[in-house]
Amino acid sequence: MSVASTGAVLRKIGLGGITGNRTALLISLGLMALLLFVPLALPGYQTLFRTTLVFVALAYAWNMIGGYTGYVSFGNMVFFGLGTYCAALLSARGIDNLVADIALAVVVNAAFAAIIGFPVLRLKGHYFGIATLGTALAVTDIVGNLDVFGGTGGLAVKQVDEAHFAIYYYAAWLVAAGAIAITFFVARSKVGYAFVAIRENEDAAAVLGISATKYKILAWAISAAIAGAAGAVYARGNGFIDPSIAFAEDFNVYPIVMTLLGGTGTVAGPFVGALILSAVNETLGHTFLKLHSLFFGAVIVLVVLLLPRGLVWLIGLRGGVRTWVKSLQGYKA
Amino acid sequence: MHLLAQDLVNGILAGGILAVVALGFSLVWGIMNIINLAHGAFVMLGAYVTWQLFTSFHLDPFLSLPISFVVLFVLGYLIQRFIINWVARAPVLTTFLLTFGLSLLVVNIALLIWTGDTRGVTTAYSGSNFTIGGITVPWAKLYTLIAALVITGVMYVWLHRSKTGRAIRATSMDIGAAQLAGVRVAQIYSIVFGLGAGLAGVAGTLVSLSYSLNPAMGQPFLIKGFVVCVLGGLGSVEGALVGGLTYGIVESFASQLDFSIGSQHISGAGLQDAVALVVLLVVLIFRPTGIMGRATA
Repeated sequence: MSVASTGAVLRKIGLGGITGNRTALLISLGLMALLLFVPLALPGYQTLFRTTLVFVALAYAWNMIGGYTGYVSFGNMVFFGLGTYCAALLSARGIDNLVADIALAVVVNAAFAAIIGFPVLRLKGHYFGIATLGTALAVTDIVGNLDVFGGTGGLAVKQVDEAHFAIYYYAAWLVAAGAIAITFFVARSKVGYAFVAIRENEDAAAVLGISATKYKILAWAISAAIAGAAGAVYARGNGFIDPSIAFAEDFNVYPIVMTLLGGTGTVAGPFVGALILSAVNETLGHTFLKLHSLFFGAVIVLVVLLLPRGLVWLIGLRGGVRTWVKSLQGYKA
Repeated sequence: MHLLAQDLVNGILAGGILAVVALGFSLVWGIMNIINLAHGAFVMLGAYVTWQLFTSFHLDPFLSLPISFVVLFVLGYLIQRFIINWVARAPVLTTFLLTFGLSLLVVNIALLIWTGDTRGVTTAYSGSNFTIGGITVPWAKLYTLIAALVITGVMYVWLHRSKTGRAIRATSMDIGAAQLAGVRVAQIYSIVFGLGAGLAGVAGTLVSLSYSLNPAMGQPFLIKGFVVCVLGGLGSVEGALVGGLTYGIVESFASQLDFSIGSQHISGAGLQDAVALVVLLVVLIFRPTGIMGRATA
């Protein structure tokens, strides 16, 4: 299938081409621009929105491998965690520079993803998923057992003084914006079409001359680099890192749920999902502390059953409720 | 030499539980082509059912085996019938994500009911053991291994001899042909998923005798169950048993690793998950059909 006709097929089923629905994308970009004013307009909510932006970036990271390439990763928190440790280790050596943090996190993660991806990405579908989960647990084990990483005791990360805290917010915004831009431009390039071809039919893609392993490693390396950058920024904003923070389950689960809700394999989806779920989580978190993971589980179940293509698809849906109901049939045993 | 023998025995004793964990997981995967990520959560539920019965009614864990099985079977049957069946034939990744969501739900409901406190089932025979030829064997673990062998044997005979068992095997071989022969596939799927959950429940009961309980306890068993499946070969009862015992032994030896690189001390006991990953990757790269050799899906 040529590049042009792949796009045509995607448009026909209401996906609006390889970047997803255009209206949703424009709305997302508008909201993203508004978020730039949070430190000035709503200084009290700065920490909340900074965390949201970190999750936006993580959702885009997951979308690259899980959404575009169709390889569901349950181990992306490893890259986030390694990113946080890059910042912490630099800080421990007296280097306190956000640019250095992010640069190191990007390089280390891309390299790590490529090395570990060589065996892991040869596995298909669910084998890959479990192997990534295994990788995540294994790396958590190893980091917790090595003295260099401060063991389970953790490491302090030096911060700027309180008055200049907004710098961490802007850094998180830049990483999130970068993640959106990378996704947009990668998706529209030849590489993006290769990812989608692998997702839709890996064997057919291979027949067309797409080197599946090469592109899968590339997708995972991009994913890892974005997650690592998000981790580095998070570590500086947080001021302290230990294995239970760096490799917390939340950094694994939330990005997946956010991307699913918004729409996998679209440019707007992860942003839409991250914004909605962060807002809901913030509300639930204060009132029902124990219920939010329960709620996230329920969202996954409902979205998979009722909204398999996510909210962005719903915005661009042609044919109303009938098309929607029809899209849900056909997989029953 | 004596230490090696002790490790070997420990590994076999632990492997019995892993075989039962993997058995249910392997059935669901092999027959329905669903990777049930809620399997670990079902193991956890089985353990808590046992704990609850033990605490409230002083019921011996081995007597609660059938109860765990029935409770989890019903839960699994209903989940398949009313939730998973909607997407039973969707691409694998759909059910992958769906069962991931279900596992979050189950774990967090357990957290609400039993809280996150660590609990344990301590029976009269929990601490006692016997020594044979210098090797120490805890009674509870020996009983557990015997129970695991019996359960595996019963499953093997039932799948090969009973009418339902044969219908299940027919479905895994060729859905179309099975349907033509009068097998109701949706019904079989519900039974298989129920069976998978029931076996996870039984495994949970066995687990509760040797491990402490908390709602997050299931995940390591999910990973190990997966590795054991891959190791033994997919969808076969004997594969799960061989895979379980092999993995138990590997893990037992690995936990004895103890060395230093420079000033860094490394102990195998803290690296169980890393061991699981290495075994998984090595098997998938060098022998992707598992030890027992059935081609995987």
